[in-house]
Amino acid sequence: MSLTDLEAEASVPPASEEPDGRKIEGRSPWQLAWARLRKDKAAMISVVVIVLLIVMALLAPLIAKWVGYAPDFGDRKLGQTVDGLPVGPNGHHVLGTDRFGRDILVRSVYGARVSLLVGLVSTVLAVVLGVIIGASAGFYGGAIDTILARAMDVTLSFPYLLFALALAAGFGASVPLTIFVITFFSFASIGRIVRGQVLQIKEREFIEAARSLGAGSIRTMFIDVIPNLIAPVTVLGSMTIPTAIIFESTLSFLGAGTDPRTPTWGNMLSDATQSYTVAWWTLFVPAAFLLITTLAFNILGDAVRDALDPRSERLFAAQKANRKKKRK
Amino acid sequence: MTGRTTGLKAAAAIGVLAVGLAACGGGSGGSGGSDDGKPKKGGTLKLVGAGGQDNLDPTSAYSTTSSALQRTYARQLFAYPASKDPKAASTPVPDAAAEMPTMDNGGISKDGLTYKIKVRQGIMWDTQPARPMVAGDFVRAFKHMCNPASPVGAPNYYVPNIKGMQAYCDPYLKNKKLQQDTKGMEDYENSHDISGVKALDDYTIQFTLTKPASDFISLLGMTFASAVPVEYYKYVPNTPDEFRHLVSAGPYKITVFNPGKQIVLEKNTNWKQDSDPLRHQYVDRIEVTEGQESPETVQQQLEGGNADISLDQPVPASALGRLAKSNDPNLTVNGPPISNPYLVFNFKSPNANKAMSKLKVRQAIEYAINKVALARIYGGPKYNTPLNTVIPPDSVGYQDYNLYPTNGSQGDPAKCKSMLAEAGYPNGFKIKAAYRQAGNHPAIFQSYAQDMKACGITVEGVPVPQADFYTQFLQKTDNTTAGKWDVAAPGWVPDWFGNNGRAVVSPLFDGRNWADGTSNYGDYDSPITNGLIDKALTAKTVDEASNYWHQADQQIMKDAAIVPFMAQKTPWYHSSRVKGATWLPIAQQFDYTNLWLSGSGS
Repeated sequence: MSLTDLEAEASVPPASEEPDGRKIEGRSPWQLAWARLRKDKAAMISVVVIVLLIVMALLAPLIAKWVGYAPDFGDRKLGQTVDGLPVGPNGHHVLGTDRFGRDILVRSVYGARVSLLVGLVSTVLAVVLGVIIGASAGFYGGAIDTILARAMDVTLSFPYLLFALALAAGFGASVPLTIFVITFFSFASIGRIVRGQVLQIKEREFIEAARSLGAGSIRTMFIDVIPNLIAPVTVLGSMTIPTAIIFESTLSFLGAGTDPRTPTWGNMLSDATQSYTVAWWTLFVPAAFLLITTLAFNILGDAVRDALDPRSERLFAAQKANRKKKRK
Repeated sequence: MTGRTTGLKAAAAIGVLAVGLAACGGGSGGSGGSDDGKPKKGGTLKLVGAGGQDNLDPTSAYSTTSSALQRTYARQLFAYPASKDPKAASTPVPDAAAEMPTMDNGGISKDGLTYKIKVRQGIMWDTQPARPMVAGDFVRAFKHMCNPASPVGAPNYYVPNIKGMQAYCDPYLKNKKLQQDTKGMEDYENSHDISGVKALDDYTIQFTLTKPASDFISLLGMTFASAVPVEYYKYVPNTPDEFRHLVSAGPYKITVFNPGKQIVLEKNTNWKQDSDPLRHQYVDRIEVTEGQESPETVQQQLEGGNADISLDQPVPASALGRLAKSNDPNLTVNGPPISNPYLVFNFKSPNANKAMSKLKVRQAIEYAINKVALARIYGGPKYNTPLNTVIPPDSVGYQDYNLYPTNGSQGDPAKCKSMLAEAGYPNGFKIKAAYRQAGNHPAIFQSYAQDMKACGITVEGVPVPQADFYTQFLQKTDNTTAGKWDVAAPGWVPDWFGNNGRAVVSPLFDGRNWADGTSNYGDYDSPITNGLIDKALTAKTVDEASNYWHQADQQIMKDAAIVPFMAQKTPWYHSSRVKGATWLPIAQQFDYTNLWLSGSGS
């Protein structure tokens, strides 16, 4: 799980892998991980999808300008029937409209902004917070550990949805509040795992060596411990992003995420409950965007874990290996 | 009576009840196509809904659900006919009274203070042996209104207006010792009289008022004023024990009362068709199944034929578009329309340099709103029409006029902008809009916020849970003065229709006595309007009252106290085997006593 393992593995390249007498190259563990990641086709497709989503989110205003409708503009002439029903995909509104006559395409594109912003920012905050608290708890131990670990346990035992709804009711729904809520409920699970890792690492010989050479706590922490956390934390982070995106959509769906006019996928899905029986596109389009985004981040997260920790074989990989053995 | 509890608790004593019409649309005329044919007898009418807040006691019950059920067993001097014409259906006619009193036939005195009313002969209580209903049963009804156990739902309609009733009620209501003491209550009522309510003989009752009230017949037409038989003294009012022993004077009687679960009504064999000009006894049984709180599920059951009529759940907004599109013949769209929702301004708000207290600003907003877009949220022109007046069509005082016309009622942002500039806001301003987090309300908020944005006004949304919206938010004067909201879109269902200024204009726009619990949420206070309300309430004739209500309407619109959005009719659905369904506006429900079931029934 940790970089030290990878180093150990990389430093003893098995000779059997060089049957054609290729030159033996020294590769860093990160290079090895990257090489493994690149071979994973699903991961590469996910990367492309995520890059496209990010580009789309960044270019949202340009797309809106090109389509001709602002995200919160209800087109009451072309985007609504006289009975107030949404209009299906057509020349004016490529992916149709919702029941206010707002363009589904433009809103979905803007929705990517909120989802990605909330997903990435709250994950970064959760990771930073989780590492600081988890590492402090694990490294210092004693009373500090007791207090911080219990605090994380308490956080994890909160009924997070009720808490989020109550906060939204009290302070008014907004993007910063959503980010706060997601960060608050994600940092603890990261922090707990980090704490466990640190407890392991600090018993290792190289830490003892550093200590015996006179390294102080701060130096040991930043030079020797934290770098060894990068791999597990990267994996945790990449798995937290899709959870955060789903959580944001859930909050919006329940009316506790953002102002209902803000184009988010959750808000769009919430609106769609009123109209999907007569207008499938109001449900389908935001749901598809949400599915694709979370799927891409999940697959990528999986692949990153596999790449950084090759010992945790995936089920299919293991089966394949077994089959090969049998054939021999 | 109709404590408009379409989902909310009945409001305060004023008597009208703000409603959380979660998903009401409104619409065009009476019920669907050719459902009539010849009435058929037999079958079990199945009602399904949330229920749970059952009060079946005629004197105190204050909900539309209860009114609809009481139609089958309680009788008033005047009641409403089953009619597909909304105006007729909201005009009271004699029920237990033998004729309509007028000044011409001597029933109403020239000063408008005395009402002499003949009671119809031949109405029998469901007692063994059958006992006729007499004038004394109505005198008892008024005495019973002030019982301390469960007094009348809306005392202000009766107590200050009937001579001697205040003096009779004050000591009785305050006597908490009597709350569980049925004998004590009986003794008090038998030993005290209301000087303004007298039985001149067994079939004549006389009311004396403290001031003229052209809507007194409407007040007598509420279930609060139902006849009370002597048997009710045996039970504490508003208890399951009482509900199981209610004595019917209508075509049905309660045979099973299982709180929150089931109510069953069966034929009252003492009831005779010729003693009842308004009701029929077509179905054999009425079965109420409670505990179903989801409008969607109720709708599914109705469409699937497992139930016939929703007890209390609206047609879900999500079904309106689909039903309209398929022209479902079992969907009815019923009037008279109500003004729901409407935009109310907070005159007290300090926000944006007190923008909301400035006439020019409010008038600018009147021009900004696209009423067509708002009406579409509630299903569009099939269910409702843009409204420009305070009083909606088919109510007394309504006259069509429009002080703030825009092209096709679609709003005029340019005009709004220029007026805002004149008012000193060339760059717009920022306000707070409170909205309910339920049903169509977030959609309504988004729609008018878009119109205001086009005019340069930035609208910040303040979501409020549905259950808190009135009592914990809009009706708290602290919130109003602190500027926690600048605009909001409440709804209002009047307690009765027709001559109902007392139940609409008066509670919503009388600026005197502004305090917690008010329904004049934003503290609109105009001496001119207040004066017109007084004149209208004490007018001797409906025509005179109508004229004053219309003047008040004009003054309120001139002052731009609200922005009316739409005249909204109520969509209501029934299973395909229900025939002859007519809308009872006062109960916001079909008249259970005038419909029948097709097929063999079951």
